Amino acid sequence: MKKVIELNINGDTHDLLVSSNHTLLEVLREKLGLMGTKRGCDLGACGACTVLINGEAYLSCIMLAVDAVGKEIITIEGLAAGGDLHPLQNAFIDQGALQCGFCTPGMILTAEAILTEDEHPTEDVIKTKMAGNLCRCTGYKKIVEAVMSVNEKIGEEA
Amino acid sequence: MLQSNPAAKILAGGTDLLVNMKHRVEVPPVVVNIKMVSDLDYIRHDNGAVRIGALTPLKRIYQTPFIAEKLPALAKAASFVGSFHHQTMGTLAGNLCQQNRCKYYNQSQWWRSARPTCFKAGGEICHVVNKKETCYSSYCGDSAPALLVMNARVVLQGAGGSREILLGELYSGDGKAPLNFRKSEILTEIIIPAEAVPGVSSYTKYANRESIDFPIVGAAFWGSTEKKAYRVAFTAVDKGPARGHRIEALLDGEDLSQDIVAEASKLASKEAAPVKNSIFSPGHKRKMMGILFQSAVNEATRRSG
Repeated sequence: MKKVIELNINGDTHDLLVSSNHTLLEVLREKLGLMGTKRGCDLGACGACTVLINGEAYLSCIMLAVDAVGKEIITIEGLAAGGDLHPLQNAFIDQGALQCGFCTPGMILTAEAILTEDEHPTEDVIKTKMAGNLCRCTGYKKIVEAVMSVNEKIGEEA
Repeated sequence: MLQSNPAAKILAGGTDLLVNMKHRVEVPPVVVNIKMVSDLDYIRHDNGAVRIGALTPLKRIYQTPFIAEKLPALAKAASFVGSFHHQTMGTLAGNLCQQNRCKYYNQSQWWRSARPTCFKAGGEICHVVNKKETCYSSYCGDSAPALLVMNARVVLQGAGGSREILLGELYSGDGKAPLNFRKSEILTEIIIPAEAVPGVSSYTKYANRESIDFPIVGAAFWGSTEKKAYRVAFTAVDKGPARGHRIEALLDGEDLSQDIVAEASKLASKEAAPVKNSIFSPGHKRKMMGILFQSAVNEATRRSG
């Protein structure tokens, strides 16, 4: 069953003709060409498809596009404001927190959701909440360090 | 819609149903999305009892200070479900109504095509237990045992009105159709009775990867040291969540000494009938039931003391 829906993605409104059974991931990648959101396991087990829905980390591969109507969707493409990279993106580059980069969009968006919810999470909290984002290059240490470095900077600015 | 389509499935968080649909083990003709139903996302206090709306996300359960402090078994169970993402998307009622699991069932269509279709997926054979005319899949949710030991009740709403039953009565013990829903009913509310709030409780889980996996075995314990009444439940070891009635009978009226807890843990393996439907052997599961029961008791009593 096809349906016309309006989605708010990265601040822009898109009118889209989608099937009711299309996942948000399929619509982002195939209809809108937003390839930053990755298709990993496609079963909600790896976190590569993470997007922000009203600021919270959702798995777009097990969420229907029709379910995202009326919500504010942010993908990795929408994180950098006006050409400046987001602090988390800068931190990942500075700390060398990526190898192949496939898990990075999901990692950064999950980290952003964690820092939105809890301004100063401990390292353990970050590790627990990011445990659903898998990195097969096994570079977790640098990733946690990158998130922690942003975490500390938030304190300095305040 | 539910009334005209008995085979329709309910979609809330979608973290269980959509994965099963992708595997083509569930192919409902109609999916009814209840996520937009308003007023089913709440945690309320009612004369000492706690009422939780069906669509309350798992994350909100353990982030609510009252639940984290007074009902630690439930808070821990909710925090153990899948990953942080699943806890954001998934709902408490969705976790209670989660489909049973089996290593021959929760696989892609291609993987399953090598064998005849099993009972659970609509066929006429069970690959786990031969010559038995039933499905041996297991309930693997984390929250049901925690709520069972609190004697929680659930409200089911259907075309014919609403009814309130004990959570234990929701589970049929049939692997193929594990939930006792009447036609067109949905679960709308979970009620934790006032009696359970003052007790001590905990839930312990043993899983392959702590971060995202279903439990290999999970054990929940609730106790009232004043009344000397105790309740125990296990998950992932039987067709539904299993109460530990033998253990409860042994502990009833006694003080919780190390000796009696050790004796009770020996009974744990008899409380359920695990089968080889996961990659872990039933013997291993039975052994872990006793160990996890002991850990749950220790955790619950340590926290109170």
